[in-house]
Amino acid sequence: MDTKWKNRKNAISFLIFFIGVSLVLGNAINILQDLSGETIPQYVKQVLSDDYQQSRPFRSYVANRLENFLAMATNSFGYSNYFDYGYYYDYGTAYCDTTDVFEDIWEGIEQQAVAKTQEPDYYYDFDYDFDYDFNYDEEDINDGKSSSLTKEQLNEKLLKIAQSYHDHIKGDKNLLYSVLYDGKVLYTNAESLGDDGSLSTSEDYNFLLCYADGKVRIMKDGQELDIYGDGYYREDSEWYVPGYRNFTVDEEMKKATVYMAVAREPLQYMEGTHRSGNYRQIDNSLYWMSYQQQRNRIRLSQNGRDFLIGLALLLLSCFTRKSRRAAKEKIAHFTGKLWLEGKIIIWLLLICLVFARYITNEYSYDLWQEFLWVYRHDGLESAGIYGRLMLARLPALCWIILFWGIYLTINELKYNKRVWRNNLTAKLYKAFLARELRQPISRRMAHRNGIALGLAGFYSLLLLSGTWLCPNLRTGFSRNALLLLLGLTTVGFLLAEYLICARNLETAGDIEALSDRIGDIRNGDYTKSELPHAEASGNRFAGHDLDHIMSQLEDIRHGMARAVDEQMRSQRMKVELIANVSHDIKTPLTSIISYVQFLKEEEGLPDHVKDYVTILDEKSQRLKNMVQDVFAVSKAASGELPMHMETLDFGKLLRQTMADMEEQIADSKLTFRTEIPDAPVMILADGQRMYRVFQNLFQNAIQYSLDSSRVYVTLKTEKSTAIASVKNTSHTELEKDKDFTERFTRGDRSRTDGGSGLGLSIAQSFTEACGGEFHLDIDADLFTVTVAFQIH
Amino acid sequence: MCECILVADDDRAIVKALGILLEGEGYEVLKAYDGLQALDLLSTHQVRLVLIDVMMPKLDGLSAVMRIREKQNIPIIVLSAKSEDTDKILGLSMGADDYVSKPFNPQELAARVKSQLRRYTLLGDIHAGNRAGEIKNGRLLYRTEERMLYADGEAVRLTATETRIIDLLMRNLGRVFPAEEIYRRVWEEDAYASENTVMVHIRRIREKLELNPKEPEYLKVVWGIGYKMEKQEKCN
Repeated sequence: MDTKWKNRKNAISFLIFFIGVSLVLGNAINILQDLSGETIPQYVKQVLSDDYQQSRPFRSYVANRLENFLAMATNSFGYSNYFDYGYYYDYGTAYCDTTDVFEDIWEGIEQQAVAKTQEPDYYYDFDYDFDYDFNYDEEDINDGKSSSLTKEQLNEKLLKIAQSYHDHIKGDKNLLYSVLYDGKVLYTNAESLGDDGSLSTSEDYNFLLCYADGKVRIMKDGQELDIYGDGYYREDSEWYVPGYRNFTVDEEMKKATVYMAVAREPLQYMEGTHRSGNYRQIDNSLYWMSYQQQRNRIRLSQNGRDFLIGLALLLLSCFTRKSRRAAKEKIAHFTGKLWLEGKIIIWLLLICLVFARYITNEYSYDLWQEFLWVYRHDGLESAGIYGRLMLARLPALCWIILFWGIYLTINELKYNKRVWRNNLTAKLYKAFLARELRQPISRRMAHRNGIALGLAGFYSLLLLSGTWLCPNLRTGFSRNALLLLLGLTTVGFLLAEYLICARNLETAGDIEALSDRIGDIRNGDYTKSELPHAEASGNRFAGHDLDHIMSQLEDIRHGMARAVDEQMRSQRMKVELIANVSHDIKTPLTSIISYVQFLKEEEGLPDHVKDYVTILDEKSQRLKNMVQDVFAVSKAASGELPMHMETLDFGKLLRQTMADMEEQIADSKLTFRTEIPDAPVMILADGQRMYRVFQNLFQNAIQYSLDSSRVYVTLKTEKSTAIASVKNTSHTELEKDKDFTERFTRGDRSRTDGGSGLGLSIAQSFTEACGGEFHLDIDADLFTVTVAFQIH
Repeated sequence: MCECILVADDDRAIVKALGILLEGEGYEVLKAYDGLQALDLLSTHQVRLVLIDVMMPKLDGLSAVMRIREKQNIPIIVLSAKSEDTDKILGLSMGADDYVSKPFNPQELAARVKSQLRRYTLLGDIHAGNRAGEIKNGRLLYRTEERMLYADGEAVRLTATETRIIDLLMRNLGRVFPAEEIYRRVWEEDAYASENTVMVHIRRIREKLELNPKEPEYLKVVWGIGYKMEKQEKCN
């Protein structure tokens, strides 16, 4: 119950965080994308104010119209803004209606350009080139030098353009205008707008503009606006109209007068009647402007509200940090289980999402194309600007998804170690490797060669078919030549590859023979002189890659065979020597012991002589033991000790040995503490030898322990190992670096005690001969011997 | 009857020592210093027992044993500096009755000589057939009805508990008994810390019947498993 609630709490806190971030991010991006060049306060002010006339588009609309009207009034150029693609573009259908006029002008001027410059391929994708042509002509015309148009023809043409423009916009009663020249009305669409210059008009029109004597006056809601400020036009000046000190008009323009009145709430005006079929919208730019503004306002208010909600949620999630972290960890745990490949694919999909909008686009050209075009012409720097533009235009949803993608990735990297470990390719590769390794090496090499050959063939086929299908290679000749060339290269390539593979396979076979040989040598088969080397067909490896290696291995084998031989011989000699020496010692020893015995039995000897005899007896007995021990050790070390292995109870062995030595133990001042389980611990060993081992160990303990200390004898089982240990406290200081199992090593250097110095050595040799492990550990005065056997 | 013993060894000191030892025991001793001399002495004297060294000039001990066995059935004890089991087995299979490795304990050797002689002279004719109620094992003879153990024909004095252990082991020659089982069957109590008790008794019995209690031939410990009465292959 508790954990359930905790889990739920974690999930909820993360959900809050998730929604909060998504809302904030999405709406912030929506708002930022709506800005279109304005600062946030400006934008907010503009959208919140109900008045569309305070917006920038409105101001530039008015300025453009004024410019056009002035051009109409003076019958001159000045329509460049009229053809501003982007301007009308933003206001929808209006654009379509203006194309007629636009095309008229365009065609006429283009023909001129064609006739004059004789550049038929002079073609651009973008409309600003039109401006270029236009200006070019204008210059030409003003020069009047090489113009094919006479001044009259040009005037006529301009007049025609002005008239068509007037015809086009006059139906839009949202903008009332009167264009006067020299006091004469040239164009007007408003009777109410007096030609006397009065700005009095109906209540519906609250924005009035009057251009006269090169100056502009604007009345809005009955109040006059300050247009010029300090009288200089700057980049940030609101009104782009003539009349600034650095932006004046010529004498001819001064004669013109323009009155404009703009509706408070623009309406949509239609042309023609429903029945006539010529039903269409008139320019209506102002209507669309205010409509757009209204919609923007609604959108902003929605965005703003959602943004604030998101912010509030984020704030809320600050309080549940702890449970959110738990949730994050859980998510990381979950994502850690996904294969790396899956994550990479998801990321690729995310990146595709960014571009998807630009790849499948309804417009004739798109940002993506533009991006590539700019990249091709201007390089990376300009392309960077477009890249940024693309990102800026990316829909908010894409941004949110991208954000969460990055978030999850970072989350995973933070909580999961070695993220790249969990990948499918490695797993498949591992499985494949494991399967492959079970096969002999020549088979493996054959596999690999097959794969290489297959890939090469596939690649060649791809190249060939690609060339075959490629539509860009239009001319038949070059394609056929290319195909032929490719075909020939492919055949040659595959042939070469095949030959190389065949050679590799041969080497693989040799490697297998080599590894067999190495295996033989490893198993101690040094003697085999019958090598594949010396087959009937001669040197099998002659000319092969591994010839050299094989002969080197042969040298090694030879050397090893000799070394082993030598070692065996020397070992045998050593054992024989020891056997002989011990035999030769035993014979005189027999006499010594016998006569000492007689001496001991002799009666009437003086006491001091008796003492001598006792010493002789002791020493001769010790010599006897030593000779036997030396012989046993040398035999065990040479591995010639005959073994009688049987299954026996380790615990019982220890108990029996201790019972057998009971008298010695009782005579010593030591206490033996045992910890041996009653349950049998079965091992495989030679009982007689192991008895010797523990007899030696106990004797060692008895001999070298501190008086009245304790000897601990324990038997433990760990997993499948039985470990017996004998611990005693030494009565002399133990030298730490001394190897006590070394033959003739004893606790005291003077060697005055009774041991042969072979006890531990024998114990170790015998234990190892039985297949056990013998360890000696010295910790201060604590002397520990452990004997370990595999439980049988 | 003269108890004449032939001692053959190339080491004169040992021969002399053995001479002193055996003459001290009341035997007459013939001395030989190589294999051929030993065979010569055997053909000219009546000898009851042979003590022969393996490593000797002219004719080695084992060959000499084979040659002796061709004619005579007297007990032979081989002396050797080789103490390996394999050497022992080889010697015994060549026809020797006992094998004593050098350096030996003089008293032990004397005991072995006595044992061999007694068995040869006293039991030589008895061992023809196994009588009912008798279990024979090497030097040992156990009469089940009397519950008496004889070593080399001499009764071994055992306590009641020791007799029960011997009864169990002699009736099951060669079988290995864990200490617990011996305890249960002899003491008829549940075995607890039985190892030491049994071992103590085993050691005591050994001292009574083994020639060298430190290297027992009959009552053996099977390390890690239990105890047994070794079954002697040579039942002469």
